[in-house]
Amino acid sequence: MKWLSSLLHGKRSRTAKKEKTKDRAKDFTDRRLDISEREAAVKSLALTKSLRENLNIIREITGNPGDLSVREFKSGREQAETALLHLEGFTDNVMVESILRLLGLGSFEAPVGKGAGPNLLQEFRRRLLSSAETKEVATIDELWNAMTNGYSVLLFEGSAVGLACDTGGYKFRDIQEPTAEMSIRGPRDGFIESFYTNIALIRRRIKTPSLWLEEFTLGSLSRTKAGIMYIKGLASEELVQEVRQRVSRIKTDAILGSCYIEHFIEDNPFSIFPLLFPTERPDRVAGCLLEGRVAILTENTPFVLVAPMDFSMLLQAPDDYYETMYIGTFLRILRYLAFGASILLPGIYVGILTFHDELLPAQLLLRIIAAKEGVPLPVAAEAFLMEMVFELLREAGIRLPRVIGPTISIVGALVLGEAAIRAGLVSPPVVIIVALTAIASFTVPNFSFGIAARLLRFIFILLGGVFGLFGIQFGALLVLIHTSSLRSFGYPYLAPLSPLIFRDFKDLFLRIWQWRMHTRPLLLGAREPVRQPLGQRPRPGLEEEEKEKSSQGRKNDYRKNP
Amino acid sequence: MTTEKIHNRQLAFILFIIRSTVTIATLPVLTTGTAAQDAWLSAIFSLVAVLLMILLVGGLGIKFPEQTVVEYSRELLGKTGGTLIGLVFLWYFLNIAATEVRIYAELLNIVFLHRTPLIFLVSSMVLLAAVAAVLGIETIGRTADALIFFYVFFLIASLLGAIKPFNPVNLQPVLARGLKPVLSSALTPAGLAGQYLVLGLLIPALTAPRKGVAYALLAAVFSGIVLVLTTVAVIGVLGPELGNSALFPFFSMTRAIEISDYLERIEALVVIAWGFGVFINIAVFLYAGARGLSQMVKIHDYRPLIGPMAVIWVILSIHTHENLFEVKKFFEPRSFFPYSMSVVILPYLLLWVAYLLRRAGREGEKYREKRPREPE
Repeated sequence: MKWLSSLLHGKRSRTAKKEKTKDRAKDFTDRRLDISEREAAVKSLALTKSLRENLNIIREITGNPGDLSVREFKSGREQAETALLHLEGFTDNVMVESILRLLGLGSFEAPVGKGAGPNLLQEFRRRLLSSAETKEVATIDELWNAMTNGYSVLLFEGSAVGLACDTGGYKFRDIQEPTAEMSIRGPRDGFIESFYTNIALIRRRIKTPSLWLEEFTLGSLSRTKAGIMYIKGLASEELVQEVRQRVSRIKTDAILGSCYIEHFIEDNPFSIFPLLFPTERPDRVAGCLLEGRVAILTENTPFVLVAPMDFSMLLQAPDDYYETMYIGTFLRILRYLAFGASILLPGIYVGILTFHDELLPAQLLLRIIAAKEGVPLPVAAEAFLMEMVFELLREAGIRLPRVIGPTISIVGALVLGEAAIRAGLVSPPVVIIVALTAIASFTVPNFSFGIAARLLRFIFILLGGVFGLFGIQFGALLVLIHTSSLRSFGYPYLAPLSPLIFRDFKDLFLRIWQWRMHTRPLLLGAREPVRQPLGQRPRPGLEEEEKEKSSQGRKNDYRKNP
Repeated sequence: MTTEKIHNRQLAFILFIIRSTVTIATLPVLTTGTAAQDAWLSAIFSLVAVLLMILLVGGLGIKFPEQTVVEYSRELLGKTGGTLIGLVFLWYFLNIAATEVRIYAELLNIVFLHRTPLIFLVSSMVLLAAVAAVLGIETIGRTADALIFFYVFFLIASLLGAIKPFNPVNLQPVLARGLKPVLSSALTPAGLAGQYLVLGLLIPALTAPRKGVAYALLAAVFSGIVLVLTTVAVIGVLGPELGNSALFPFFSMTRAIEISDYLERIEALVVIAWGFGVFINIAVFLYAGARGLSQMVKIHDYRPLIGPMAVIWVILSIHTHENLFEVKKFFEPRSFFPYSMSVVILPYLLLWVAYLLRRAGREGEKYREKRPREPE
């Protein structure tokens, strides 16, 4: 009867398996061990005093892979049994060699006899301190974590504690210009996949010791490093606490990218608008940190998340800040208009042509109607189809190998576009509108926001086709209601626009002179609103200023009350 | 109780939009009165009425900065009296807002979407408002913040457009028939000032309730200016006769605007601005109504009430009036003014009296309490 039920339910066999793991905790070759059981078993394992046993356990747990390099040798005058473990590809071979040389030569006098493991450990530690950062590891879990972070681990006969030395030397992509956020006059460095390089990139820009970093390890299997960075004393403590709490609350098996974290911690998971700002640019992150925001870094991702974000950040490009004020402002307003167009233009076109053609000037209307003659589809279907084709092309363009890339654009633009018009399947105005929308949508500096805009565009085409301009208004109001109810980490999403904060308009549509931006954003920088003293407008040369100072003696007034 | 707050500025925007939308929508000065070319004078008179109204509603409101009118009326007049007054106010909200959606939907139906059923237009607008009201007064305030730019821009654009076809002769003769028609024309817009009843429900949601009245007055003055300007523009462009008989005078005016050969259709702007205004209007009324009702029946959260209320509104706005002419009749000064006044002013006067009596009583008590101490 028992075997029957076990066959039917499998329940019995599972409990049996658990019992079995209990008494055979160390048999990691057991095929029936599930991953969580393995993990738990590894966690409970401490290092023993026998070197041989330790090595065996490690080999057994890891399946003795080829990249696990174990070098056994006799070190010191006493010729103590020692092993150096490290993972290929995680360490710098030169450093490993230097450690080996240092220990293997037997040049130091250690009071070491058999069973004096701790003494040996201390001696090694003292010796190695000059060459690498060291730490002690007492369990298999710690040992493995150290190794996957680029450490080499020394194990000694007779010591239940191993010594991990930092020999990190990962191979990484070089620091390159960010591909998703280009800039002409700005700095050319972008984040890469290395956690500490990314931190260094930020710290190079903000060198104060008050730039704090808190590290987390996320993902039970991936054990990814994540960190939050903020300027202590500038970022609101509640905000930092909130971010810390949300990040440390994540319980999952793996974090493979910053978007995983994003999905776990955003305020409204059902919104199509991004609520955390992903960026590849260290200058962007530095700017955000200086406004009192918090950056969330993730290992193995060139994207850093910034929280809280507001809508205006999506349409700010780095170049705004590196050009003159007028150009910056013009570009920014252009971008806002383009963004509006990229969402609404096809919808409005469809709406007007379907319901309100009297709104167009007569000449224009005649032209469009003439061009549309003979086209078998209604305008809405036409626009929808062409937008779909465009999305197809765009998606294919991203996925295709770079060599074939140009081919698709030729096929798309010439063959499809030209031929479709020639054949009278679509009218030229629709193609113009779609092309315009496409160009406009590329001006949005943030990629993930561009995607949101794409989805909205289709909805607006539908609304425009079914209900005309009334539908467009309906949709626009719905989007507005939604966005103004959104919050990112408690901060309103449409921040300087609604709630209206006129003071922060200096960085919304405008991009005012740097010397005039003397306050931080009202909501974020509340701890210290003033960024720089007023009255720093460029003045004539120093000599004249001196003269003025001596004659008036009131130039420094701003320092007294900024 | 919800702890949602709106800034006083947002209140001012909301009130401005509500009031100006009435202007765009019906321009009742012209369509219902007999003032003809002197209608702009009536607009000024109605402004005075509006200011008085705000003092009446807001003045009592800031005496109870933590409570809505539903709550303090119960405190002042007892349970039955308070509930009755609350019901009356609720009815007024319903009636005015339903009428307003109806007018908007009628316009859309007549001008743009000929074959779309009225109920569809009405219900989609109410649906939007309901979504906003469920998200809370904070969201409504923020939407008002964001919309005010578009709104003012559209208003200014259509007013500026009116400069070219403007004919000053249309405004003459001034006061040819004396003050009487002017005053009678002012009655309907003055009666519509009952909209400021929302103040009684919004004051406790303000960040600085005590300054609420000042902001409301400011909003009223600005919307009064808009009313006067639009009246002048309509008369100047269309003339008193056409302005009087047109169904949507402001809309007809913008139709007459022709800036150049290519820019001759700016009435779409007006309709969009109008849509924004109607949306804010119903959203606020829906919120205020639901909030008031929830306090009346002592429910903690007003949100569950919004769904059923929205449905009732849609039905009401379709079935209260058979057609647009009945709506127009509804706004006639002879009937609308007494109706509006009796619904809004009478209860408030009652509340004021109760309040003053209570205060007098309390001060008497204080006086009596203090007196024995004086000799010490």
